[in-house]
Amino acid sequence: MSTFMSLVRKEISEDLTATRGSILFLIAGMVLSAFSVLLVSNTELSLLDNAQAVYMMCGIIVMLGSLIAVIRGSDGFAGERERGTLESLMLTPATTQNLAHAKLIGILLSWMILFCISTPYLWAVGSTGQNLLSTIPYLFTTGTFLVLIFASASLALSSKTRTFKSALSVGLTLLLLAGSPVVLGPSLRQSSVGRLMDLVNPVAGALNTLDSTIIDSQGLIFQVLPLAVLLGYSLISLFILHSVTRRVEL
Amino acid sequence: MKWHSFHVALIFAITAGILLACESASMAAQSPSVEISLERPTGTMKMGDTPVFVGTVKNIGRQPLKGLVVYLSLVSLKSGDEHPVDLEDWSAQKAVRIDQLLPGETNTQKWGMRLIQSGKYGIALTAVDPQRKQPIVSDLMSFEISPKPTLSSSRILPVAIGEPLLILLLLGVVRISRIRTA
Repeated sequence: MSTFMSLVRKEISEDLTATRGSILFLIAGMVLSAFSVLLVSNTELSLLDNAQAVYMMCGIIVMLGSLIAVIRGSDGFAGERERGTLESLMLTPATTQNLAHAKLIGILLSWMILFCISTPYLWAVGSTGQNLLSTIPYLFTTGTFLVLIFASASLALSSKTRTFKSALSVGLTLLLLAGSPVVLGPSLRQSSVGRLMDLVNPVAGALNTLDSTIIDSQGLIFQVLPLAVLLGYSLISLFILHSVTRRVEL
Repeated sequence: MKWHSFHVALIFAITAGILLACESASMAAQSPSVEISLERPTGTMKMGDTPVFVGTVKNIGRQPLKGLVVYLSLVSLKSGDEHPVDLEDWSAQKAVRIDQLLPGETNTQKWGMRLIQSGKYGIALTAVDPQRKQPIVSDLMSFEISPKPTLSSSRILPVAIGEPLLILLLLGVVRISRIRTA
């Protein structure tokens, strides 16, 4: 247990002190700032309803969280392998599964830091509007599920690929595939195929939950199905990560 | 001859009677048995307001009406970009079912709406009687929603500029403390 805790501590300290970990937070802050400035500087966007602005901001936050999960997850094993540090980690008494779990906790902590960074932006764009307070727990829940899914998938991929680049390219493709139906717009998603794709797509599930809560002011009962789908995907991803990392080659 | 004329007159009278009866029955079937009106809230409307439109449905027929469905329709009347508006985002309830409306009875419904976009709009109330082919629509009421900037730069800019600077400052502090420790 103490070895596992030391691994978790190592991951967290790398997040907070190493340049490659902390620069992601700076970039995330700059992206959120750029979007906020865009909202006030554009005449049409500045007339947007507060709830709509909060929803758009939430969409950016969960996608940033997923992107950080893919980058950090891809770096998890493949990056250590490339830097030649995986061997020393595998020499510790911790199992490779422990290593994967420690890395997953590190990524979840990154998401929590990003969530804390994004809260002032949400207040800035939505404090005079509706549903800001109810948005916070839903954003945290849906974001955590998405980060769990993408981080587990990327870590699992990273444990089997030789280089960080190849793990990252597959991870980013997965993220794009999951995110692309959402770009199609609501009218194209009204058909039965569109609705089915929305139901099985975790990114669409997260965004639909946020839309339903922030814009339509719908209660928890309407969110049960998309949240259950997200939970299902999270459990499956965790199971895959657990199975795949049982044996990791150098 | 007289007898023959009497028969012709009788047949003519019966035919005319049947035709008149059919005509009046058809007119009764086509004339609306519902009077429908929509009342707009007083004062000017601007983005973010939640005015309440009051819709009234009155049974002016002789028969009770069952299963009447009443709904609002909103149309953007912006010149060159006229289109129907999905009321889902405007938080207005989509339709109301009136189980039964007795002759002379009036049903009043309040339709609250959150105005989320500026522009010129038209709104109408429609009642659908399952027994009739034609829906009954109120007069189109047009109204203007004036724009209101909802996002304030005085609130956003301090966060948008301050937060990256704060993160940068924290990163600098961490880096300096690491160098000193080393």
